[in-house]
Amino acid sequence: MAGSVVGAGLIIEGEFTSEEPVLVDGTVKGTLTTSEAVSIGADGVVEADVQALSVSIAGQLTGNVSANSRVDIQAGGRLVGDVKANRLTIADGASFRGNVDMDV
Amino acid sequence: MAYASVIAGSAVIRGNVRGDTSLEVQGRVEGDIGVSGDVSIAPDAVVLGSVSGARVIVGGSVEGDVTGSDAVLVEDSGRVVGDLSAPRIGVSEGAHIQGNVRTSGTPSSSSSRVSAHRAPEARPAAVPAERPAPRPVAVAPVALAAVPSPPKSVPPKKAPPPPVIPAPRPGVRARKKLARR
Repeated sequence: MAGSVVGAGLIIEGEFTSEEPVLVDGTVKGTLTTSEAVSIGADGVVEADVQALSVSIAGQLTGNVSANSRVDIQAGGRLVGDVKANRLTIADGASFRGNVDMDV
Repeated sequence: MAYASVIAGSAVIRGNVRGDTSLEVQGRVEGDIGVSGDVSIAPDAVVLGSVSGARVIVGGSVEGDVTGSDAVLVEDSGRVVGDLSAPRIGVSEGAHIQGNVRTSGTPSSSSSRVSAHRAPEARPAAVPAERPAPRPVAVAPVALAAVPSPPKSVPPKKAPPPPVIPAPRPGVRARKKLARR
């Protein structure tokens, strides 16, 4: 997979910007911005405001999410924060607490 | 070798990166990197901060100290402004380093690859550095030794004095010429 991989065990604290996909199996704290997709794996932990083309959450995300395309909260995924996106899916078994704004 | 974590070419991180993993940086990190696994700073990557890992390979640019618990290898495309510290340090010809270099401690894990890499890399860099220095130093003793030797060796073999007189002159001239050069 092209793009950045925050592997299990890696902790990034600060401002993370990219123009490629980002896969998070580790931990990201701060802000996460990319013009491509963000995918948070089952063991991934993101404590950051996320801005991306699309965001897929199978792990934990605490922070506000803004996606130009879509946000998908997978089963087992946990999101605490507001979502701003045209499309949002919340799988059965996902946890979510926050506001949704689809009027982008 | 595959690294568990990758900071891609377009990625910019302003902050610190740490953890128990191996890491390849292709993009830009403005902050310190400290992981327990191996670290690769790719040729176009830039790190403004210190880098520490088990085996650290620098092919890009690092402005900060580079520390390896196992080894630090600076490739020919590498540039380090900062100190290098590791039990094993390899610097390829063409690498740019500005800082102190210190090999200390014992490697934590198998490093046969590292030593194999380091030997050929270190020798070519060391040999050209030694050659220019001994040359001017070696020339003077040779010239000085040549001057007294003809009078000593020549008279017993050949009785006529003519060879004795010309012998010191070329020696003196040669010495002056060489000294000027």
